[in-house]
Amino acid sequence: MRSVTLLVIAMVLLAALGPMLAPYDPNAINIPKRLSGPSPEFLLGTDALGRDILSRLLYGARWSLGLAFVISVISMVIGTTIGLAAALGGRLADWAAMRTTDTFLAFPELVAAIVIAGLMGAGTWSLIFALSVTGWMRYARVARGIGLSVQSRGYVVQARLAGLPSWSIARWHYLPSLIPSLTVVWTGMFARAILGISALGFLGFGVQPPNPEWGSMLLDARVHLRSTPLQMIWPGLAVVICVLAINLAGDALRAALAQQDAPE
Amino acid sequence: MIKAIGGLLLRALVVLSGTAILTFALLWNAPGDPAQAIAMARFDALLTDEVIDQVRTEVGLDRGFWQAFWAWLGPLLTLDFGNSAVTGRPVWPDLWASISYTFPLAFAALAIGLIISVPLAILATKRPGSLLDRLAVGVASIGNAIPAYWLGLILILIFAVKLAWLPALGASTPAHAILPALTLGLGVAASLTRIIRSGILEARGQPFLPAIRRRGVSERSMGRDHVAPHAAIPVVTVFGLELAFLLEGLVLVEVIFGRPGLGTFLVQAILSRDFSHVQAVVVLTALVFVIVNLAIDLIYRLIDPRIGESNA
Repeated sequence: MRSVTLLVIAMVLLAALGPMLAPYDPNAINIPKRLSGPSPEFLLGTDALGRDILSRLLYGARWSLGLAFVISVISMVIGTTIGLAAALGGRLADWAAMRTTDTFLAFPELVAAIVIAGLMGAGTWSLIFALSVTGWMRYARVARGIGLSVQSRGYVVQARLAGLPSWSIARWHYLPSLIPSLTVVWTGMFARAILGISALGFLGFGVQPPNPEWGSMLLDARVHLRSTPLQMIWPGLAVVICVLAINLAGDALRAALAQQDAPE
Repeated sequence: MIKAIGGLLLRALVVLSGTAILTFALLWNAPGDPAQAIAMARFDALLTDEVIDQVRTEVGLDRGFWQAFWAWLGPLLTLDFGNSAVTGRPVWPDLWASISYTFPLAFAALAIGLIISVPLAILATKRPGSLLDRLAVGVASIGNAIPAYWLGLILILIFAVKLAWLPALGASTPAHAILPALTLGLGVAASLTRIIRSGILEARGQPFLPAIRRRGVSERSMGRDHVAPHAAIPVVTVFGLELAFLLEGLVLVEVIFGRPGLGTFLVQAILSRDFSHVQAVVVLTALVFVIVNLAIDLIYRLIDPRIGESNA
């Protein structure tokens, strides 16, 4: 648990402070030094335009992790709202909300995101939109499930009898019970968002050059697989380490919650 | 049971019509002038406004949203996907050609995934918490974090570039399918191992097992007749998700390995704004997943009769 916490803290710090640690401007072109291997001057080598790969990786953490954070929070807000609306809004709202969730779940999320981002035109905004509207369904299911179970608890029944409006009951009585489970779902979706961003970047539908996003760095590196194979290793490794750290954090969190819920 | 099946079918119908409307709305509202994009993909040259307007009328983009939607949906109900907006050829033969590349690959990947994950999970759970168990879980966790496109590139680097054992690009011989199938299969194995492992562990914890053991049932029969069916329930549950995961990987892997499959078909259709191609892929995928989910629901009821009871 402690090592996982440290890893996650290291990741957040890296994303926050990365630009300060970067030895070069990530977009500084240096053609004479293009496609050079690791050296004291360029620790991880340079890409096809002679840009320093280490600097691009460090700046890229902002794009990859920052956007994944934004996307996973937006989809949490959408999903929780829909889930609670289903739990609180009566039979018709429940039916409509859950069939909408089914419709979105019936389709592979990343494929839907590729179609949406691709058709909206490549760019950061369509990337955020595409991954947010395809990533809210799990939150909705969890929020609805917990919402329904909270409904019959004494304090909620009392609040209802006292005439509190629905949104106020949702805010004060549902949200606190939701937060632990939603956090666990959030870690999973955060990791998925990192993978989604880099996948779209790799297909050319995501963050656009010259911005140093990890997936689009892989796309650049792919062409030079023969001459400078190492160039392709780094961005992928960055994705793997981040996703792994977040998944482990999620597992630890889930285990801690299960222990808390378990009867003494 | 019949009522349950009816309910599931109705639900499937709602999901399918939802997907159809959403896809169409998305295509309709995509920014930029679709007629211009289609004309560009067709003629690949600087275009006059007359040509673009001609394309607009021909493809039916000058109609209103609902009019165009019904014009598209009508033939679709008879599984007629229409003609490509770009090439003018019927969609179905081209789509089928790409599926014929994708299907064997998906099947091979699923097979590789099962061949690796089932024995690994069984071995790992022989002694939970042992070194082997922890190793299996560790490798599976790392495998889950590795994106398919990166693994694909690494495999190309090792087996095609450095060792020159296998071809990397194209789909001309069966050998060309080995690396992509391995890329996808390893990913499937990573996620299945964890699921099967926890399925077995949970099945072992069932309270009826000691009772059966006392009755003198052999260890072998315990595993086969009592633990395995229980462990299969979570595997069936995630099968739909697993298939979705596979398709997501397929799109990327086909692009990396230059295979002319469904994924490449979709990406090219998006780039050239080929409405009918995009719609065809989306509707077909939704149809497949609705059928798979329906089948899962039914299999579920067969393996575990308790599910039908609690839902009714």
